[in-house]
Amino acid sequence: MLELLPFLISGLGVGSVYALSGVGLVVLYRASGVLNFAFGALGALGAYVAWTVLDAGLPMWAAWLASVATAMGLSLLYGWFIAPLLAERDSTIRSIGTLGLALVLMGFTEWYWGSSPRRLILPTDAIGIDLADVRLTGTRIISLVVALAMMAAIALLLARTRIGLKMRALANDRGLSAVLGVYVLRVDTVAWLLSGAFAGVSGLLLANIVRLQATLLTFLVIPAFAAAILGRLHSLPATVVAGLVIGVLEATAILLPGFAPFRTAVPFLLALLAIILFPNTQRLA
Amino acid sequence: MTELPPLKADLALRLRSVRRLRLRSLWQMLLVLFALALLLPLCANGYWIKTLVSAAAIATAVSGSALLYGQLGLVSLCQYALVGVGGWTALRLSHGLHWPFELCVLAAGIAASATGMIAGLPALRMKGLYLALVTLMMAGGYQVLISAMGFPDGGEGWLGRAQGTDRVLMARPALAESDGGYLTYAMLWLAAILGLVEWHKRSKPGRAWALIRRGEAAANAAGVDVLRYQTWAFGLAGFCAGVGGAILAGGVGQLDGRAFGASESVMLFALSVVGGVYHWLGVLLAGLLLRAVPALLTDYGVNGYLATMFFGASLVHALTTAQRGIAGQWLDGIAALSHRLRGSRVTPGVRHD
Amino acid sequence: MIDIQNVTVQFGGLKAIDSLSVQLTDPVCGLIGPNGAGKTTLVNVLSGFARVRQGCVLIDGESLLEKSPVQRVRWGLRRSFQTEQVVEDLTVWDNVLALLEQVEPPRRQQAEKVGWVLEYTGLEAVANALGAHINLFQRRKLELAKALVGAPRVLLLDEPGAGINEQEAAELRTLILGVHTLCGAQVLLIDHDVELIKSTCSQTLVLDFGRLLAVGPTLDVLNAPQVRSAYLGT
Repeated sequence: MLELLPFLISGLGVGSVYALSGVGLVVLYRASGVLNFAFGALGALGAYVAWTVLDAGLPMWAAWLASVATAMGLSLLYGWFIAPLLAERDSTIRSIGTLGLALVLMGFTEWYWGSSPRRLILPTDAIGIDLADVRLTGTRIISLVVALAMMAAIALLLARTRIGLKMRALANDRGLSAVLGVYVLRVDTVAWLLSGAFAGVSGLLLANIVRLQATLLTFLVIPAFAAAILGRLHSLPATVVAGLVIGVLEATAILLPGFAPFRTAVPFLLALLAIILFPNTQRLA
Repeated sequence: MTELPPLKADLALRLRSVRRLRLRSLWQMLLVLFALALLLPLCANGYWIKTLVSAAAIATAVSGSALLYGQLGLVSLCQYALVGVGGWTALRLSHGLHWPFELCVLAAGIAASATGMIAGLPALRMKGLYLALVTLMMAGGYQVLISAMGFPDGGEGWLGRAQGTDRVLMARPALAESDGGYLTYAMLWLAAILGLVEWHKRSKPGRAWALIRRGEAAANAAGVDVLRYQTWAFGLAGFCAGVGGAILAGGVGQLDGRAFGASESVMLFALSVVGGVYHWLGVLLAGLLLRAVPALLTDYGVNGYLATMFFGASLVHALTTAQRGIAGQWLDGIAALSHRLRGSRVTPGVRHD
Repeated sequence: MIDIQNVTVQFGGLKAIDSLSVQLTDPVCGLIGPNGAGKTTLVNVLSGFARVRQGCVLIDGESLLEKSPVQRVRWGLRRSFQTEQVVEDLTVWDNVLALLEQVEPPRRQQAEKVGWVLEYTGLEAVANALGAHINLFQRRKLELAKALVGAPRVLLLDEPGAGINEQEAAELRTLILGVHTLCGAQVLLIDHDVELIKSTCSQTLVLDFGRLLAVGPTLDVLNAPQVRSAYLGT
């Protein structure tokens, strides 16, 4: 059992980022009906910006700020200028639009910074605590704390604040909400901003945990999708749990004989299982 | 019910003329493709011939993707993974059993078709976003699988991997050994696949798909079994991908397991839409965009990733304003021009494309 | 004959149709009632889009509810909707053909069958026009043509005359009245247009709050006190 521990902890680390990403995806989907395929790409771009900031010798908080601000800004621009052009179409097409955004961001990132992978080393990597043979770096601790804090904050926002109520109303019925006086565009803006913030944080953390490479980070959104699907694209707590479970299973799968090269397929398998076992046509058809 | 009176002469005449126009558009397509098949090898140099072979193979796969989206509004983000399935099947059969090339291609098509249908069946009961997500998951899963397995290259056992100098290129058909000959061969397969798809669109399945497009209510009220026709479309799209994979394998000789990521499938879908999903010209354009444009950029020393950015922007543009894609815009332009030249009035509504 | 036996349809706590038992025998029957009376629900039950909590439906002695919606269409049940469901990018001819080839295997005389219904509905002039290019009345007639092709047995027409003018309504009336002579099918007509009901339906069923309010010869039903009070609230 003890040999599982390092994998468990590392799995929880990645899993908490999957959970965070999943929440970011679900929040936007609930408010605007758009599943943001560019989530990973936004995060990737933010992470590269952070790398550049750190490379220039600036402190870590500046890197975090730059990363999150970039992701939020781009997310907002898309939400303001492009998303309204597709507002009348069905949910699928509105989401496929973000696929275009993903390609633009991914292409830009690879063009500007080059496609060779690099490490995103944060100063907090150096400090850490030792827990039963496993080193929990400062970054991992921060990431866990930040992830939990953000997820709690968003839950509170949706449940207790006025804007959260409006976001839930929008998710329920966009047209009706507009008629009832909810400023659709304003609420949309908040949703895109929040989603961008989540993307920025997740991108930075994933770049640190895995590595900094545009294509990789863009498509690490897929396990986040898996978590969101397991949360039925609706329930935030379920998405969080799903993200953690996916991370842990993916990490511990390395112990299964012969399964090691296939362990990155764990999120996909779990998502497919979820779709087969819990078909829920109302939400997505 | 007793014998019905024959059709009024006028109506029968008009129906015959519509049929003739439709047939003519089909012949036009086949003629253009045959002409390209014969002329392209003569106009292009060695590097470009190879590029065009890949473009033709990809176009074959795009025809399936365009079918699903254009006829049924279904977004499939795993088409390139199915290309990989087809390529793997063709390579394994060719190296292991030394089957004739054509049989390998057909087997590849069937394998990809079956894979697509089986894996997609749970998601076909749900449409829209779920299908897009499930196919994306499948593409991701396939990426992991094929990176670990690799493609057969002459070895023994299930995986057919060989070591070092024992690795073999796929055997080409006897009449198409040379690169130029193989380009013609690939174009002929593309023509066959596009013809198959067109035939579907113009007969019973196409009409059923049109009813499904109109809405679930319209389809059910017309007695259309929605699940059966969606599965059929998915199977046909898989077949297109599989054939494309086999042609690709024969063209390049070997396939690399690292080149079949989820991003490839996403790009394939994106460019299907950009090229235009309602017309065969769009399929050709998509194939060229996916393979010829990167090659062109390399020729001019331009970074290929700029192409990715351009493709992403084109997708957004296609979704928002140019829903029939580049092909649609060109065809509209040609139609407008020819009407102006002829000075004739547009006959409303006669469908002959 | 449509024989509805003790049918109840419940959505949650709401009984959309409550223990309805009625026999509709005439060639053209009307179905009327205030909004929310359950008319469209009843048509949905017949066409297979709504499930019954209890009860059964027999048409010409054959049980209907065991059949799937697609099987019912093949069997001969046809339905038109309040919003017409014409396929815009198929021609008028192909719209009809699409349905015909779903309900019967390809036989000789397929073209003749399509031509026949198009001629009946006066659409043969626009047979090659796309659905997108014909006007509303032509679309309504196309819906009727689709319902008539291929040996139908029961036509459920849901407000087939919505949005057409006086002259067109007169033509529609003639077409509906001729259905039984043309192919022997029974027509169930839902509409708010009392004139249309009066001039085409010999028997009418009135629903109110999912229950049978009145059924019988159309004029008697329309003059019945309980029907007037349901509509006028007096």
